[in-house]
This record gives sequence, C-alpha cells and structure tokens, in this order.
Amino acid sequence: MKPPLKARPTAKEALAVAEQTAPSLPPTQIETADRPTSLTMRLREGTVAALADVARDRGLTIKQVVAHALKKDGVAVMPADMEDRTPRRR
Amino acid sequence: MTVLTMATAKGGTGKTLVCQVLLCALAGDMRVVALDADPNGALSRWAARAYEGPPIEVLAEADETRLAHLIAEKAETADLVLVDTAGFGNRAATVAMTSADAVLVPALAGEADITEAERTVRLTEALARAARRDIPTRVLLNRVRRTSLARHALAEVTTAALPRLDASLSDLVAFGELSYSGRLPDAGTAATEVAALVAELRALAWLPDMTTIRKADMTTIRKADMTTSQEGATTPPRKGALT
Repeated sequence: MKPPLKARPTAKEALAVAEQTAPSLPPTQIETADRPTSLTMRLREGTVAALADVARDRGLTIKQVVAHALKKDGVAVMPADMEDRTPRRR
Repeated sequence: MTVLTMATAKGGTGKTLVCQVLLCALAGDMRVVALDADPNGALSRWAARAYEGPPIEVLAEADETRLAHLIAEKAETADLVLVDTAGFGNRAATVAMTSADAVLVPALAGEADITEAERTVRLTEALARAARRDIPTRVLLNRVRRTSLARHALAEVTTAALPRLDASLSDLVAFGELSYSGRLPDAGTAATEVAALVAELRALAWLPDMTTIRKADMTTIRKADMTTSQEGATTPPRKGALT
C-alpha cells in the first residue's frame, strides 16, 4: 500500500482525481449554443486589398485579421471566430 | 498556504455567507484570497460592491480547469485561500474539494440540507482516498434557531456520523445585513458566533498559523474587480445598501 500523500495536489492531479472519483458530475457552467451567422459589409476595394495584404503577411484569413483586431479593441469575439476554419480540400 | 473550500450540493445553505464572514473576520490579519466558483457570482459581486474591510482579492472562476490552476497559484502566495462553490454537484466544486486542505459544509436544518451535507462529506472522503491525502471535513450548522427542528437536524447529523463544528451561525439579521453592508458587527451575538467559529477553525489548524504570517507583505494585496479579475476601483455600495 502506498503511503498517503500529504502535499496538496497539483492542478493536473486535482483534475484527474475529480474526474476519476466523480465522472458523472456536470460542468459548473455550460456554454449556450452560439450558432454561426453572417455579417456582410460593403467596403472600398482598397480596404479589402489592404486587409488581404495584411492577412497574407500574417498567414491569417481576412476574417481572422478582422476578428483579432476587434478582440484587441475590446470586443467580445468568440474564440471560434479567432480560428482559421476554412474547409480544406481532401 | 491554506485552502479552505465551502461546499455542499444543496443551494442556499450559507456557503457564500461563511466566505463573507471569514473574509471580514480575517482580512485584517492575513493575506486572504477568495475564489468565487459559483456562476451566480454572489461573492464576487459582494466584494466589488459592498465589502468595506481591509484589502482582499476575490476572483471569479467557474471553469474547473482554470480554477484548479488558480487555486494552486494563489495557494503559493496567499495565507488563506477561500473557495466558494455552487450549490449543486459540479466539477468545479469537486476540484476545489480535492485541492482543499479542509472542507467546510454549511447546512440548514432541512432534510435536503442534511442529506446533501452527508453526500458532500462522503464525496470528500472519496476524493481524499483517491488523492491519498487527508482532507478534513466539518459540517457547519447555519441559520440555527432554538427549535425542535434544529434539535432534530442536529440529531440527524449525529446519527449520520458527520463530523461537525461545535460553532454554528444563528438565524440573525446581522448576517443578512452583511450581504448589503459588507461589514460584520463589532459586538453582539453575531460577533460572538463569528469569533467562536474562527477560534474553532484555528484550533483545528484550518487557518494559517499567525506567527508565520508576514504582515509587511499584506500591502501588496489589492482589491480586485471580480468579474474581470483586474484591479478595480472601489465601487460605491449599490442602491439599497444598508448603512
């Protein structure tokens, strides 16, 4: 039999013990369904070209450039909108 | 240093009240950090809007993973970390119990309170076995009245062999006022009961040893904005606050 540990568990250990002991307990807070929708904007060609240049330079999509800028400006952008979710060809 | 978690799967038993009481009673003596793991945010809202005592840090975090890391982080720097949990069985509360040095289980006199208190004590025992460490647990009777119901509840706790504090909190207006005023009375029954609670927790070594607390470091503690976890200005008491 292993001797009892006296030290407080690390975060990782605490999470593992909780998961092992009470696996059926729900999370404290459940994210509400946040379905995707569309936002269309009319912009000057120059603005779109500038956005495309920045996106190319940074290795991001145009949507990501906009989302990251909004996030930086304090807008509560959802994490999913910060990611590149472009469908990839097989 | 010490992590003290308030937990029970029954809502409305006084977990947040006990946190408020301990924050008011201890913040002047040590570096206290409170973690509000209840999504309704009652403790963090109270700290931001009503609390008027010495500086404290209160952070809201209901996600179990972030909470686990926050407990570990704050335990390194604070003398006492209080964790307030939501009143239903949930992962964040379970993690907070696992990470705790001790668990306090507030309970009223109702059947559901005693039943859930027993479940919480048993869950903490299971977590302690899985973590291979001692996690002492005590039931704290709250909103106690001198009635046959209260005596019956006490008998139920005894019958279930639940570990219980001798101290208890009565059904006093002063404790209700605390949620608005952010202050504990200096004298009277409420002050006496809080002093008895603190004394018993000290006797159990659930509170840090006062001789090891470096008071000079307490100046680094700030009052945090609860919802954003950032330093925030002291907000005036909300409308309707008792004065």
